[in-house]
Amino acid sequence: MDILASFEWSFIWENREELWEGFKNTMKASAIGIGGAFVIGLVLGAIRAHRIPVASQLAATYVEIIRNTPILVQIFFIFYFLPRVGVSLEPFTVAWVAVMIWGGAFNTENFRAGFEAVPQRLREAGLALGFSPFKTFLNVTLPVGGRIALPSSINTYISVLKNTSLMLVVGYAELTAVAYSIQANTFRTFEMFAVLAVAYLAIVWMLSALIRLLEARLRLPEAL
Amino acid sequence: MQERGEGIAAALADEPGAKTNGTPVVRAEQIHKSFGDNVVLDGIDLEVSTGETLVVIGPSGSGKSTLLRCINLLEPIQSGRIFFEGEEITKKGVRVDQVRQRIGIVFQQFNLFPHLRVMDNLTLGARRVKKMPRREAEERARDLLVRVGLPEKERSYPHQLSGGQQQRVAIARALVMQPHVMLFDEVTSALDPELVGEVLVVMRDLARSGMTMIVVTHEMQFAREVGDRLTFMDEGKIVEQGIPADVLDRPKQERTRKFLRRSLQMAHSLEELTITQEGEAE
Ligand SMILES: Nc1ncnc2c1ncn2[C@@H]1O[C@H](COP(=O)(O)OP(=O)(O)OP(=O)(O)O)[C@@H](O)[C@H]1O
Ligand SMILES: [Mg+2]
Repeated sequence: MDILASFEWSFIWENREELWEGFKNTMKASAIGIGGAFVIGLVLGAIRAHRIPVASQLAATYVEIIRNTPILVQIFFIFYFLPRVGVSLEPFTVAWVAVMIWGGAFNTENFRAGFEAVPQRLREAGLALGFSPFKTFLNVTLPVGGRIALPSSINTYISVLKNTSLMLVVGYAELTAVAYSIQANTFRTFEMFAVLAVAYLAIVWMLSALIRLLEARLRLPEAL
Repeated sequence: MQERGEGIAAALADEPGAKTNGTPVVRAEQIHKSFGDNVVLDGIDLEVSTGETLVVIGPSGSGKSTLLRCINLLEPIQSGRIFFEGEEITKKGVRVDQVRQRIGIVFQQFNLFPHLRVMDNLTLGARRVKKMPRREAEERARDLLVRVGLPEKERSYPHQLSGGQQQRVAIARALVMQPHVMLFDEVTSALDPELVGEVLVVMRDLARSGMTMIVVTHEMQFAREVGDRLTFMDEGKIVEQGIPADVLDRPKQERTRKFLRRSLQMAHSLEELTITQEGEAE
């Protein structure tokens, strides 16, 4: 009760500008990361589902590496190792690149599963109309399989957003990093973590609501 | 009903059928097709001329579906040649997608695109393959929906339709592309018995309107009344061919007789059938 009694709203208010900057940085890295994860997942998922030689094996290797190592290790790798081989990246770049690569791997699996769930007979219906194999992908496999992949890819996007909080370790001033440094200087730990919890809940809820709306619009009207 | 048949003919009026004068629309020469060791088509010769309806019957596994899929180039063949309007389509370098634009096919499972309304199912190919303006494609699609008896369904999704309605939409979807030949693969086999008629009527009218058709079916009544020619296939070979009534009523080959006897529609009553030692109905 002591903690609650000593909770100071004014303290959060005083730091609002810094927190707002952090929030914006979180959204920036998330937006790029999610966009990139979408494109990577789409392209590599299609390559995997169609078993395109070499490219498919490379994509599988990428997915395995990312899925089977902790994301923190991946972040450190990008942040500490890449500069040694001459690729030096700003914290912001490390932030969106890291979550994009992570989300892209999971999304590759989401889309692969979605595309593979499209019955061969539907693809043949596309071919029979005179679509080339690539146009059959664009007009049949993508719209149908993409819808099947939607729920699982949504979960990946939400994880991408939450994972941006790890960019604290590379000094990217996203929401978590900002809150962390404020409480480190002021010892207002409870206020700051309360802000974080509420902010992430709100963001994820908003994102979910947005995506559910999209999902409802795109939902396949029947089981295949 | 005859009226409706003329309707389909009118919808397809700008068919460039004239250029195929004399040449068969589809001609197959000694097609051999196997899946691994399983020989499925064993030297098939076949010819369909303009406006003709060829009906193909035969036991399950005899290769009927495979034959249609080969003609539509959905399956590669091991040897033999297939000609479409005089041009060999099985030789190297042929633009497969361009050939398929002129061959309509309707499957046993209707295979409508589940995410698209009926109207978009119909116009997708016309708009995206033929680059027809949307307005024109939709006009054509509406015409065809009237012809297949579904003018009020253009806004429906496939799952909101009965099997018979879905199959009629599938037929219309193939027709929008203005094919020069239509292939039907047991299109009524997945339907409840009371829905079979509405699909067969559409096909009958299409045949009467002058469409060239190859129809794989188990509907003997349809074969008899609509078919110009009937082919009986067994084990990848054409066993017997002729005027439908002749083949059905006076089959020359023992294998044909046996198949027709087993086919319930041809037996006068269930009483006449027994199970043989091989476990087949006789
Ligand atoms: N993709 C495939 N891979 C391997 N074997 C196949 C394939 N498609 C068909 N077959 C085989 O080819 C043979 C002929 O099949 P097909 O589907 O052409 O017969 P059908 O005459 O259409 O039979 P039904 O009346 O049951 O539809 C069967 O033995 C089948 O198992
Ligand atoms: Mg079949």
